Amino acid sequence: MSLLDRPLAEQAEAVASGEAEPGELLDTALARIEERNGDVNAVVDTFPEHSREMLDAAPEGPLRGVPVVIKDEWPLPWRAERLGAADQLSPAAPGESGPYRALRDAGAVIAGVANMHEWGSSSTGNASVYGPARNPWNPERCPGGSSSGPGAAVGARIVAGAVGADGIGSIRYPAAYCGITGLKPTFGRSAMDGHHVRDTTTIVSGPMCSDAAGCRLLGSALFSEQLPAGDAGGLRIGVVRGPVSEDCAPAVREACEGAIEALRDETGGEVREIELEGLELSGLAAVVVGSSEGLGDIPPSRLNAISDQVGPVNRGLLKYRMLIPGPIVLKAGRVRTLMRRSLARAFADVDVIAWPTVPAGAPPLDKPVVELPSGTHSADAVNPRGGGLANLTGIPAVSVPVGFDGDGMPIALQLQGAWGSDALLLDAAEAIERATERRFVDALSPVAGGTGALT
Amino acid sequence: MAVEADFEQFVPPGLASLGIEADEVELAVMRAAHELYWSALAGMLEVNLSGVEPERDADMSRSPEAE
Repeated sequence: MSLLDRPLAEQAEAVASGEAEPGELLDTALARIEERNGDVNAVVDTFPEHSREMLDAAPEGPLRGVPVVIKDEWPLPWRAERLGAADQLSPAAPGESGPYRALRDAGAVIAGVANMHEWGSSSTGNASVYGPARNPWNPERCPGGSSSGPGAAVGARIVAGAVGADGIGSIRYPAAYCGITGLKPTFGRSAMDGHHVRDTTTIVSGPMCSDAAGCRLLGSALFSEQLPAGDAGGLRIGVVRGPVSEDCAPAVREACEGAIEALRDETGGEVREIELEGLELSGLAAVVVGSSEGLGDIPPSRLNAISDQVGPVNRGLLKYRMLIPGPIVLKAGRVRTLMRRSLARAFADVDVIAWPTVPAGAPPLDKPVVELPSGTHSADAVNPRGGGLANLTGIPAVSVPVGFDGDGMPIALQLQGAWGSDALLLDAAEAIERATERRFVDALSPVAGGTGALT
Repeated sequence: MAVEADFEQFVPPGLASLGIEADEVELAVMRAAHELYWSALAGMLEVNLSGVEPERDADMSRSPEAE
């Protein structure tokens, strides 16, 4: 097994101990991009000279010499972000973004820029100026969005860690679809300098790795503070009845309920049923709030000059977003307040709230709809139902692989915690890994050389 | 039918009032989005949340109870 196949923390340890030579590790990563990227289109740009310069200058940080990729959402000193699109609505230029500085200061090596859904506007990842990224478990399926490239790159074991961004679930959806672990940090806790939505109240950068220990290591770099490890002992797990946990594909519901029981048993904890007043409004409110951010910086004249190389769906949706009436935006803000208070009350009684990250496995790239007990739905219409709450309210959330469906596509459980409980969420994710004997985090996708789903 | 009527009354005049141009394909996308979301958006407006006290200077990184 190549060192590149091992989790991020093990790669860092191997370099730090002298067991591995970081130059060889970078060369292996660059070779693996050449070898595997044709199947998944996860990495859209490489720059070996800059990567080697980063390695040569790398400090003795916790990620020294470890290759990672970063979503096409932040500038690098040698490259402006493109947001997966042919046209940008705000000026983009090369520069030292916050995530770049965090990676550099931790000693990491950026081996490439990862694909993303055009303008970050979908949970599917099926549109990009570079062509869509593809799911390493089945290249005809969606990789998830909008951090499609980071998800596919880690799922294909091109690298073991990637930096994504999450505005309405955009780390957690691709983590779920690609069978990896993704942390949406507490709002404001991770590096964001240089992001194009300067006044965001919803978007965060975050780690996407093959396992929770990798997310802890990469997350600590992005937070510029150590995320300490614990055991999540006596964990109080909140569950919610209703569509978010019940209107799911049967395999998803079964796997997630099993994972919650396993988490309870592993931590010696308990499961408590809770109610979250207003939850049925939270997904829509998150979409309204998230879709409104940044619009004030776009004059109609700019909208009229959007390149026709941008997909018509995004052109049309952006213009439609400009028409959302002010009272609806204000009402969404009131829902936000309601949900923040509902959560504050809930987290007095439970440590985490658990439900499926997404209600069904990755849908086809050319027809991103999912079959649920309530009927056939666009994935984009139902994914924010469980994914939007964390962005709307600022709480952290982690997506953890917990199974596979009948088509061999990964299934994931989402754990959400109180503001600042990012480390606890990773403790809980590691407890699930222990309880499942790492069957799902260590499973290799076909593109990564595996034989397919473990059940 | 009601949603369709809403679209014609709402979207083309709204775009025109802001000076935003849209081609037929973009209008078709907007029509689909309107059909998907408008009823839910209008429904959210109907929900009575007058009892929810506004959160002044909300800090998304912290619990509202911490303020």
